[in-house]
Amino acid sequence: MSMSFQNKARRTTSDDDRILPLINVVFLLLIFFMLAGHLAATDPFNVEPPTSLSETEPEKSPHVVLIGGDGQLAYDGKVLEQEALVQALTAEVDGGAVDFQLKADGGAAAVRMVEIMELMRQAGVKKVRVLTVPKAL
Amino acid sequence: MSAPTTQRLSLAPQNNRRRNLISLTPLIDVVFILLVFFMLASSFLDWRSITLDPPKQTGGSPSLEQAVLIEVREDGLRLGGEVMALDSVAARAAALLQKKPDRPVLVRPDDGVPVQDVVVVLDALTAGGVTNLSLIRKKR
Repeated sequence: MSMSFQNKARRTTSDDDRILPLINVVFLLLIFFMLAGHLAATDPFNVEPPTSLSETEPEKSPHVVLIGGDGQLAYDGKVLEQEALVQALTAEVDGGAVDFQLKADGGAAAVRMVEIMELMRQAGVKKVRVLTVPKAL
Repeated sequence: MSAPTTQRLSLAPQNNRRRNLISLTPLIDVVFILLVFFMLASSFLDWRSITLDPPKQTGGSPSLEQAVLIEVREDGLRLGGEVMALDSVAARAAALLQKKPDRPVLVRPDDGVPVQDVVVVLDALTAGGVTNLSLIRKKR
């Protein structure tokens, strides 16, 4: 009887032992994703940024205007109309914000982007950084 | 006879205690949940940027008379009304700027041209050394 009990105990420990490599790998994956990725708030709609050869890395800025593929606008995580965008940007400029970024979909109409940049100028924005991603190799 | 029995008896509970001390299953549960969270929430996009001056809404200011105008149309590029390929546009713009380096370069996309095409033109101009870049559009 004591024999069978011992057998059972050994079998359960070896179950744990069999899971250990799995746990090792899962921990490694966890650490990889924690360190390599960075957490970012999701955009209210999908934006596929255009690819460019630019080497300039943008500084982190909380002031990002989004333009979707169909021309819709968002700022600060909210979908906005043009008038509301101008008001929000004017308030930000009055509050001393300088670094404005524009994240436009690569398939959006360029005329629309220029229109939004005109609105930003109207709100008092002096410099705009257009966000892009490097070309995939 | 009695000695091996006590040894065996003492070994079995010890094994059992070691296993009960930390059960691995809840740990794996939590680690899996964390893993899934970080996989879904983290983004790996490597951002780059192009700095531009926002365009003035009113055209016709004296500085614009000096400007180099590049039109981006659906059927190709034009510099000063002349149809050109992308690399010759960049070379011509750089040549024009050598005489007067502070001339602004204006890029005017036509209706129906996607942002990506304009970014390609901006890239080529920046690579050619143009710094005073701006986007404009046709007046309605």
